[in-house]
Amino acid sequence: MSGDLERRYRRVLRLLPGYYREQWEEDMVAALLDGWLTGDPEADEYISKAARPSWAEVASVAGLAARRYLGGAGAPRRYFAWGQAVRRVVLAVMLVHAVLGLGVLVRTAWSRHVFRWLPAPPASLMTVSPGGVWLTVYYVVNVAWIVIFVALVLGHYRTARVIAVLAIVPDLVALLQAQLTGTMPVPFGPWAFWVLLSLAPVLAMAAFHRDAPPAARRPWLLALPAGYLLVAVPLLAVQATGNFAWLPDFPGLCCLLVALACLAHAPRAWSRRADGSGVWSLALTLLAAVAGAYRIFSLTDYLHDPHLINVSLAELLLLVIAVALVAPDAARAQAATPAPPPYPHTMAA
Amino acid sequence: MADKPMTGQAFFVLTALADGPRHGYGIVGEVAGLSGGRVRLKIGSLYGVLDRLSAEGLIEPDREEAHDGRLRRYYRLTRDGRGALAEEAELRAATARVVRSRLGLAAEAAG
Repeated sequence: MSGDLERRYRRVLRLLPGYYREQWEEDMVAALLDGWLTGDPEADEYISKAARPSWAEVASVAGLAARRYLGGAGAPRRYFAWGQAVRRVVLAVMLVHAVLGLGVLVRTAWSRHVFRWLPAPPASLMTVSPGGVWLTVYYVVNVAWIVIFVALVLGHYRTARVIAVLAIVPDLVALLQAQLTGTMPVPFGPWAFWVLLSLAPVLAMAAFHRDAPPAARRPWLLALPAGYLLVAVPLLAVQATGNFAWLPDFPGLCCLLVALACLAHAPRAWSRRADGSGVWSLALTLLAAVAGAYRIFSLTDYLHDPHLINVSLAELLLLVIAVALVAPDAARAQAATPAPPPYPHTMAA
Repeated sequence: MADKPMTGQAFFVLTALADGPRHGYGIVGEVAGLSGGRVRLKIGSLYGVLDRLSAEGLIEPDREEAHDGRLRRYYRLTRDGRGALAEEAELRAATARVVRSRLGLAAEAAG
């Protein structure tokens, strides 16, 4: 009687991981069909043929599937490892945005002589900012990335998600405007940045759900000033000399930083006694995939310059070698990461 | 590890089970009724909540019954679930009393 509709619902439920379907599928199908069927054979036959799962139901199952695949406390080891790895990747990408945002604010303050004890910035550091209302949007978005990063670290997931969705819109509008009016200087680089480093991490924020263990606050919060002082300031200093030849471009910098992180983590990944190293290995492997894809798509910027193409390929090669050192540990992580027990439940206010 | 407050959906699901076991769709209907139609649980949300409450030991399967060739699983509150619901209800009632008092509603109702 309920054959067609039941089949449609079971197809939707295939979005869920196998272990979850084993436990809940029959019950979910029964609950879904109970919402439709009347007990009158004729009416039910018609309903079964005509009815379709609503978009809202499909979206709710997709949301549940995302939360289960990117598991939190109590999830099977494999899904917990993926959840933790994706959460760390998102935090790392948000950290990059936050450091960039901090850089823009500091440079602006410097150029407006807020730091009176510093000499005026050299001309090589004076960047061209957008004008009019876009200037305001530009500053707001840069501050927003810092807020998003801090909110994620402090566990204000919903706030971070809402601000992040708003923060990626201006870039999209600017890209579409440039694309449609033909002013876009390069075809793939900015789009790759937006898709890989803005849109994808914002979507991946689905991993920060109620069951997600909180991030380690202290190290992540310290990473913001540390990232600025150790990466942005030295780059700024090189830029200040006016010698840009030694500076990697942004996709290259991403490849080099991820490669360095892989090299730093490799001894831990090779020592099997290091508990929980596998999640970092998995996170670094995912980060390497993002940085590598960004590098590859950005190569189109340099089609006119074989030297820059060679430099970019060397960066990619270094990244591949470095990630190869942690990839075996990443593969093991999916079976070896113990999931912590579910949260104790209390009625806190 | 910080304790987490009970969500509105979890509160309604526990309340729906307070007077006896219910199956999945029964809970959806009861929650809609309890909330005056404001909370309409979709299947993904319902089973997300049931899964979590079950993992936390606040609900447990009661029985399974065949209905039109399908198996309906009924859920019931555990002792911990009852305690958690009572505690949450008390907290919400206390908050509601404060709100009414601050809005001057208690005096109006008394007057």
